[in-house]
Amino acid sequence: MPTERATIRVQRYNPDLDAKPYQQEFTITPRRDTTILDALHMIKAEQDGSLTFRRSCRHAICGSCAMNVNGRNRLVCNTPLSDVVDGDGRVSIKPLPYLPIVKDLVVDRSAFWRQYLRVKPWLLPPDDVPEHEYRVSPEEVEALNSAETCIMCGACYSACQVVGMNKDYIGPHALLKAFLRVIDPRDTQPSERLADLKGYDGVYRCHTIFNCIDACPKGLDPTRAIESLRKMAQKRLDFEAQRSERQRHLHRAVPVHGGD
Amino acid sequence: MGNSHSDTITHDVIIVGAGLAGSWAAMVAAEHGVRDVAVLSKLHPLRSHSGAAQGGIAAALNNVRPVADTGPRGPLEPVPDSAEPPDSWELHMFDTIKGSDWLGDQDAIEIMVREAPEIIYAYEHMGCVFSRLPDGRIAQRRFGGHSAPRANYSKDYTGHVLLHTIYEQALRHGVKFYDEWYCLDLIVEDNVCRGLVALEILTGKVYTMRAKAVMFGTGGYGRAYKITSNAFANTGDGVAIAYRAGVPLMDMEFVQFHPTGLYRHGILMSEACRGEGGYLVNNEGERFMRAYAPDKMELAPRDLVSRSEQTEIDAGRGVGPDGEGIHLDLRHLGREKILSRLPQIRELAIDFVGVDPIDDPIPIQPTAHYSMGGIPTDVEGQVIVDAAGTPMTGFYAAGECACVSVHGANRLGTNSLLEASLFGRRAGRSMAEFVTGGAPLAPVGGDPATQNHRRLQALLDRQGDISVDKIARDLKQTMTDQCGIFRDESGLTAALDKVRALQRRFQDARTMDKGSRFNTDLLNTLETEHLLTFSEVIVAGALARKESRGAHSRRDHPKRQDDQWMKHTLAKYQGSAAGPELSYKPVYIDWDRYPPQERKY
Repeated sequence: MPTERATIRVQRYNPDLDAKPYQQEFTITPRRDTTILDALHMIKAEQDGSLTFRRSCRHAICGSCAMNVNGRNRLVCNTPLSDVVDGDGRVSIKPLPYLPIVKDLVVDRSAFWRQYLRVKPWLLPPDDVPEHEYRVSPEEVEALNSAETCIMCGACYSACQVVGMNKDYIGPHALLKAFLRVIDPRDTQPSERLADLKGYDGVYRCHTIFNCIDACPKGLDPTRAIESLRKMAQKRLDFEAQRSERQRHLHRAVPVHGGD
Repeated sequence: MGNSHSDTITHDVIIVGAGLAGSWAAMVAAEHGVRDVAVLSKLHPLRSHSGAAQGGIAAALNNVRPVADTGPRGPLEPVPDSAEPPDSWELHMFDTIKGSDWLGDQDAIEIMVREAPEIIYAYEHMGCVFSRLPDGRIAQRRFGGHSAPRANYSKDYTGHVLLHTIYEQALRHGVKFYDEWYCLDLIVEDNVCRGLVALEILTGKVYTMRAKAVMFGTGGYGRAYKITSNAFANTGDGVAIAYRAGVPLMDMEFVQFHPTGLYRHGILMSEACRGEGGYLVNNEGERFMRAYAPDKMELAPRDLVSRSEQTEIDAGRGVGPDGEGIHLDLRHLGREKILSRLPQIRELAIDFVGVDPIDDPIPIQPTAHYSMGGIPTDVEGQVIVDAAGTPMTGFYAAGECACVSVHGANRLGTNSLLEASLFGRRAGRSMAEFVTGGAPLAPVGGDPATQNHRRLQALLDRQGDISVDKIARDLKQTMTDQCGIFRDESGLTAALDKVRALQRRFQDARTMDKGSRFNTDLLNTLETEHLLTFSEVIVAGALARKESRGAHSRRDHPKRQDDQWMKHTLAKYQGSAAGPELSYKPVYIDWDRYPPQERKY
């Protein structure tokens, strides 16, 4: 911490009281390990209880607290204040961009959740349920891991310029979820999913600006998932045939090659 | 608050809390023919604290076993198809009973361990991404207090994948979710639950919500402590609301401290760290668990490990600037294993204490983690109101807010995800049976919404100048210092006085935000009121229980006293002026198969 005190510049807006958003500065005395979320709590407890923000787990797994810090979307719970203050100990915190403001740092994510629902985020499993687990190889799981750790915080969605221009675009978060389902060997409708994702507001809307990758606090790569979906969508029927073939072996042990 | 509008909403089933218990119950009720199922959550459902669980979910699947003759910490290998199954529900049962220090009800435990594999397979069939063995079966690891490797996991974010899976499937079954609605009150008349009162956080509007069946899956109460692994949301709302509505609370004095919370933050460092082979080391570089649990070492159950750590710290062998920490050393696991099995742990250690576990030991300390006590239920999730098992018609509970009781005096790691899922599912089924069997929509007298709206308005109108946050901080300090890992009569007596004094001070506490829109300051005030309400019950139960059992450890009564204390505490609300009325209920023990034994690891 370059200075003992830190100045937290927060965008305030209560639509019931304010004509438009304004910036308000609060001064706090942080500790060495104070996070941005700690700083917001200090302000709320000691200076202004009406300062409003979402938070819950405070360790980057619940996805509540994505905000815009010095122009970049990130989770405030796992970001040390010392990482983001400038030489004068100042930092600027705003709500996630491109989304309607509910109050202060709380945004209306309903468009975000609508797109999530639109891709049918749930698995559509086969009818022939085995007595035990379906057999999925560690390599297949590794691929699924590249999408399943998404915490639905909205950092990518509200960093996406395409979303900014067009709220009908499915968006990086929901496309990543769709990718998870499409590549899951247990899903029975990857082809139908790919057909839906090919539509006007789907995979071809992504302009590969890569903002989503920069914004993701979990280090995920929605752009690559969208590119993969595009390729799979182009060869949808081949993909469907491969999936049917794969599902014939879901009840059987994955062949384990010796030598390692 | 600007509005005085009240309205009534009706559903067949209303569930409060959208974690594993609530989402399971909702999905299953919908699957079993209830057309109109709603779930209320004060957060978005995917923010529920179930998602923060890390290490695994227990079930004796028999997918892996220890390599022969390599000892309790040796390597694991897949169980060949032809081999005798090394694990069993009977072993899981014994481990759970021993872990519970013979306070868990053995009939409920038997149901849980027998149905456990079914739950894991159900998750898998719904799309849950588990870590796998080379042949495609679900991978398993060791966990504390379990005599076989039966923690089924997804790296170190198991709760996250389970929560997302079950929420998605509940959506698929047409469950209606009220995101960011806060339950204010339960409507009970003549021991029949008729619905609840809820606040729509966005607008500040208060609604009466009527239902044929109401279920609480509102989670635990670790936020009563200063250092906790729990989310900000875990303020025991459901427990406090049920208590005030006349449901006695059971075994509230049993609060689990997890041995490995990140130093000063309390953030969970999964038990999987030790399950994968991590060491606990004091400031002399010694693996001190040798002195406390020579057989199980770091994989002794949590109550024992936390007490051992605290004993080391109190003897001046702690680490860190104030000597209040212990080192969790993972370095010998190697880079590859840490990155593949414990990636989240590594990131959290780097982000919050600036330590990369590949290169350095992680400073940790015991952290308030799990609430064994709560709302008493039978094994179908039906809430009961006395030692005889009298049901409160139409009211159900499951998960951490409930007390079945399968965990007794101390829960084993990986049994909580199992319990929340499994008893959530059972509660969903029994609500479906109740509703489809013709349960009526019981009439509601008066206007509960308006009544509650007035209560909120009165809180906002208070002219006092005491900070709610200060009261909450004082409470947490008191609970940590005097009702924590070690307890004694004088500390608990002082704590009880202090909690009651804080309850009185709360009457002059000021809510700063006076508006109706998304008023999180008002929520903090209500949550603090809940903390004050049930903390008194924790302390009163702990003061009365003159023995040491599981997580309840009295320095002045260091032995377990089965002749007097092998019984559950029930604490009944008697109005805000008087303390709780304590009574007791026998533990279900199968004397032939699982009689009490000395608990040694």
